[in-house]
Amino acid sequence: MITVDARGEACPIPVVRTKNAVKALGGPGKVKTLVDNEIAVQNLTKMADRKGWKASSKKTGEDTYEVLLSVGTAPQEQDEAETVCIPDTRKKKTVIQVASDTVGSGNDELGHVLMKSFVYALTQQDVLPETMIFYNTGAKLTCEGSPVLEDLQTLAAMGVEIVTCGTCLDFQHLKEKLQIGTVTNMYDIAERLLKADHIIRP
Amino acid sequence: MRTKETFAVYVFDTTTDALAMEAWCREHGVPGRLIPLPQEISAGCGLAFRMTPQDDEKYRSALEASGRKFAGVHSVQQFVLRDQGEERKRDDYS
Repeated sequence: MITVDARGEACPIPVVRTKNAVKALGGPGKVKTLVDNEIAVQNLTKMADRKGWKASSKKTGEDTYEVLLSVGTAPQEQDEAETVCIPDTRKKKTVIQVASDTVGSGNDELGHVLMKSFVYALTQQDVLPETMIFYNTGAKLTCEGSPVLEDLQTLAAMGVEIVTCGTCLDFQHLKEKLQIGTVTNMYDIAERLLKADHIIRP
Repeated sequence: MRTKETFAVYVFDTTTDALAMEAWCREHGVPGRLIPLPQEISAGCGLAFRMTPQDDEKYRSALEASGRKFAGVHSVQQFVLRDQGEERKRDDYS
């Protein structure tokens, strides 16, 4: 029996590591994989179905699911069908365009409060954007002293890509103050906006 | 990894009260943060103040004595990021 602890890993890592463990068995045997979410369980059982392996799963803790695979025959070497991942929590091709450090316009004090609320509310969503683009005064939000930095760190850790306009950082003397994500330019921003299916501007 | 944890969530009758609470807490070193009112709470204005249950216990009496107005405190689950310090566990091939 091989045990794979893939908690905290995003698809396809748990599937790939489980496949590698099955390979390491070198014949009939059992592989137990621990994952931390239901989707990962489904990804593993789907893979097992395709391969003709028996799979059973159970929830063993608040954030732990156990998937037990019984492998009857050794997998064929050439069997490298692509790993199918059930979509993760990020909504593909959804871009949040943060063009200012306020939400809406008319009252900046209120706009700042609303921006803090908005970014926090994003961290509480089940489905997250793929990318957040910050420009003009929005660039202040990814820099030192930003009131939303902690929430942006949460979003980044969940896989949301954070990019900030370099010209905007430079113009506002913030180049050395960037705290999260990467610096980008207008060609990249234009391309990202053109390729997006949904653009959300708070 | 994102996980849900319980927080003490203070609700207010007005946004002004919520902002005043945040300002007072910051001034007095009381930890906590303003959040949009969680949807499971039906009372109060659109802003709320979130504290860990431990901080709430520690500072509740100080907050009450401060004269800050709040309409109530609720226990609510919110997503937080769990510490990433833990190293990835290695596969056990034993």
